[in-house]
Amino acid sequence: MIPFDLEYYVPADVSEAYDWFRKLQEQGKDPVYYSGGTEILTFARLNRVRTGAVIDLKAIPDCRSLQMSGQLLEIGSCVSLSDLCAANPFPLLSLAARGVADQTSRNKITFGGNICGRIIYREAVLPLLLTDSAVVLAGENGMRAVSIHEVFEGRLKLRKGEFLVKTLTDIRFLPLPYYHEKRRKIGHVGYPIVTVAALKKDGKLRMAFSGVCAFPFRSDPMEQVLNDSSIPPHKRIEEAIGRLPGPVLDDIESSAPYRRFLLARTMADAIQSLESR
Amino acid sequence: MTGAAKYANDNPAPGLLHAKLAVSTHAHARILSIDVSEAMRIPGVLAVVTGQDYPVLTGSPLSDRPPLALDKVRYVGEPIALVVAELESIAEMAAYRIQAEYEPLPAVFTTEEALRPGAPVLHERMSEYEKDEEVYPEPGKNIANRTKIRKGNMEEGWSQCRHIVEVHIHMPQSDHASMEVRSSTAEIKPDGKVFLRTASQSPYAVRGAVSQAFRLPLHHVFVHTPLVGGGYGGKAAIQLEFLAYMASRSVGGRRVRITNSREKDMMSSPVHIGLDSTVKLGCTADGRLMAADIEHRYNCGAYADRGPIMSRAGAVDCTGPYRIDNMRCDSLCVYTNHPYCTSFRGFAHSELTFAMERAMDSLAKEAGLDPLEFRFRNAIGPGDTTPTQTLLTRSTVGDLPKCIAKLMSLKNWQGSSSPHKDGPVVKAIGYSCFWKNSSTPLNAGGGASLVFYPDGTVNLQCGAVEIGQGTRTSLTQIAAERLRMDVGLIHISTDIDTEKDPYFWKTVASRSTFLVGNAVLRAADDAIEQLKRLGSLVLQGLPEDLDVGYGRVFLKARPDISIPIARLAEGVALPNGRTVGGGAIIGRGSYTMQNLTPLDPETGRGVPGPEWTVGVQAVEVEYHPIDCTYRLLRAATVIDAGKVINPALARAQVTGGMSMGLGLGSRETFYFDSNGVLLSPQFRSYKLIRYGEQPQYDVEFVETPHLEAPYGLRGIGEHGIIGMPAALANGLSRAAGVELNRLPLTPERIWRTVHDPF
Repeated sequence: MIPFDLEYYVPADVSEAYDWFRKLQEQGKDPVYYSGGTEILTFARLNRVRTGAVIDLKAIPDCRSLQMSGQLLEIGSCVSLSDLCAANPFPLLSLAARGVADQTSRNKITFGGNICGRIIYREAVLPLLLTDSAVVLAGENGMRAVSIHEVFEGRLKLRKGEFLVKTLTDIRFLPLPYYHEKRRKIGHVGYPIVTVAALKKDGKLRMAFSGVCAFPFRSDPMEQVLNDSSIPPHKRIEEAIGRLPGPVLDDIESSAPYRRFLLARTMADAIQSLESR
Repeated sequence: MTGAAKYANDNPAPGLLHAKLAVSTHAHARILSIDVSEAMRIPGVLAVVTGQDYPVLTGSPLSDRPPLALDKVRYVGEPIALVVAELESIAEMAAYRIQAEYEPLPAVFTTEEALRPGAPVLHERMSEYEKDEEVYPEPGKNIANRTKIRKGNMEEGWSQCRHIVEVHIHMPQSDHASMEVRSSTAEIKPDGKVFLRTASQSPYAVRGAVSQAFRLPLHHVFVHTPLVGGGYGGKAAIQLEFLAYMASRSVGGRRVRITNSREKDMMSSPVHIGLDSTVKLGCTADGRLMAADIEHRYNCGAYADRGPIMSRAGAVDCTGPYRIDNMRCDSLCVYTNHPYCTSFRGFAHSELTFAMERAMDSLAKEAGLDPLEFRFRNAIGPGDTTPTQTLLTRSTVGDLPKCIAKLMSLKNWQGSSSPHKDGPVVKAIGYSCFWKNSSTPLNAGGGASLVFYPDGTVNLQCGAVEIGQGTRTSLTQIAAERLRMDVGLIHISTDIDTEKDPYFWKTVASRSTFLVGNAVLRAADDAIEQLKRLGSLVLQGLPEDLDVGYGRVFLKARPDISIPIARLAEGVALPNGRTVGGGAIIGRGSYTMQNLTPLDPETGRGVPGPEWTVGVQAVEVEYHPIDCTYRLLRAATVIDAGKVINPALARAQVTGGMSMGLGLGSRETFYFDSNGVLLSPQFRSYKLIRYGEQPQYDVEFVETPHLEAPYGLRGIGEHGIIGMPAALANGLSRAAGVELNRLPLTPERIWRTVHDPF
């Protein structure tokens, strides 16, 4: 039961969505954009999210796109994780998406919602970081496309009222060798203790992580050492873990030492798996 | 599955009001003030109730709990106020606006902290609490009950031991995790009669408790319980019923419902008890158990509820199904500043069994014996005595050796049980035996009536609640068997009404088919007598020359001379103008526990229950040493069911229990922060076994009749759970080569034990 009143808006296009946001903001409704709703609804019933209005983006055609457009794969932010996995245009992304929650929830959780949500894991972003994808954002000045590396620092740095419309991925990345492993506390459903997604491009390993720190990331300093063939693999891993961009999480899913242990093991597995490919 | 079932919360009614709880944010604190003014200002809010409005204490066997906190809070999540509003969302909104001011007190979260000399005391006025049943609280300490067992001669026992081990185990608190959250609705009619609709395993106890707490005449309280969506003991506790009554009273008796959110069901309502235990166990060189010294410290949380009875059960059956002539046990029910506990499937037995069976495996290892062989050699049997010195017979204890032999003969479970490497993994089997008696009051009982209709069908009325276990189906089968009629012609409703259905103590303790089943048999016999008497008037024979079956009353010697029961129910007009039968034919029966005795407070000597159900369980795991993960491959139970009267239901009950037990063993637990705030009150963070993660289940039965029970059957409703945590831990301990004595066994737990065994 949601312990506050909220209004519900369903704009038909990108500019209408932003207009509503601005208007509702002016009315002091503190609006939030709404996609699958799983996070807003579950947090709202615990009084951990409060808003006077939600703006549902699911009717916006741009947010629902799932297509090849020239050299680019375009994925709308409101495509559900289930639909994304079923269409499977980007196998590494499908693996990342399939690891989130359970099937019933994935029917509702959207690609954009997973990336922009408050829950810290945002695992669907890992393949985007590995493939230097672009994100299309809509806001005050209409739409803009920017590299994900420019706007993603643990989470998307959105301007006030801005929202994620879709992502663009160069299709030349899609056939590259990849690796994905999600390690949970126990069982097949749950948050990651460690998720490692990796890709090999031009002989170089790229690796992105979720669950390790309080935010998902891809790290240049870590990749530098991981690709330094002058060091034996286990030393590379040790060195890379020394370069983590933040403290290792320590919570009810896992203690920090066990996380570090699983991280090292999974990285070794990733290196081994991609070495010969 | 049709979705047509109606549960307690599925009954919208015009004018229904809703109540929501404001709860404590402190684990242990004095309440300085509760400000409800802001909540009262919200349009749609009709009333706010606090503990000061109802300064009553509830709970059995120890009345230690106010329905809303009084003066003090003792756990995070404890209800402190109740809001009644037109809409559920408004009630919830208002509950968040209730401001309480606290003076924090030092808290204790583990049994060790609670028992330390000088520990903060949760219940300062324990000596004033009312008691019923056998309970021995220790005022001034955090001990709600201590049960003592003293049997044989300890010195002599230890002197005969060649091998001795001491094992310390920990099993955390966890949740019942029923699909249906708790829900109660109350209405008070202008004449003062109280109508409750509640998801409960104990509607008759609700009636008594509500009448007692609020000083209402018993006959003014009516309880209706529809189909219950899973109980596991959690709905035997009485909590929301008090609150629903108070909510209704606060708005002039209007109908008010209170339904838990999943989070409140986990953090505010009673949960599964925890256990810390020390077991010292010894055997001779050839592996005969000679002595045991056991201390159980059950963590019952902030209030006792059934904790004292559970800790007693933990003492009564503390040895497991093994013959040990010299033993002592102290079993404590310990208060801590955690959510409070109530009965949970197995009633303290999966806990005591985890302790005992870990010790059994450690001792087998120490003595160099095969763990299953060791258990077989020490299996208890007729002529042996239990910890409470009850002399056992074949009828009361069943046949554990036969269960073990049957397990060893099963296709999947033959051959070597030693752990073996299979490539990068280790496969290992863990075993556990179990036994369980019930822990009912001495006078627990129930009734049944059978009403015959003019179309030849029968309506069975009784108070056993349907919680998904299929008891009501089994009871119609028992009636059909005795009446020798088609089970399809015996009707039973899914709901219970305390005003119409004959009394039944509680639907707990795997006792419904025993107590109510016996009542049904007596009701059937009573009906048969009446039918014979009526038949004798029509058929012109003596009642003793008649028999009843197949829908007819007939002459034993000439079955072709008969009269349909339907006609007797309708009324048969004789040529002389008199009518035989008609009106209503009602068979009635009741049954109460027989020959139980209280336990001696110093030695525990006494008869705790009518019979023990015994069995053996095994779990095979595939363990990956490289990262301490594992898969559950197979799990087996061989149980002495006495008599299986519905194989499909029996198998489902045992399998369901096994699944729950593997959940407890592998993942179910509450995580708290350092202030006692529950961090896992949702299925996001509270892990359950999910579909697809289950092993292959094998369930087999041995049938040694219990002579007092209908058709010889034994209780099996809880038993599938009992040995599973232990069998899992034993299997994983063997696979990993370390002693895994703390649950749940997540891969991280194993990893930490492997890397830092101390």
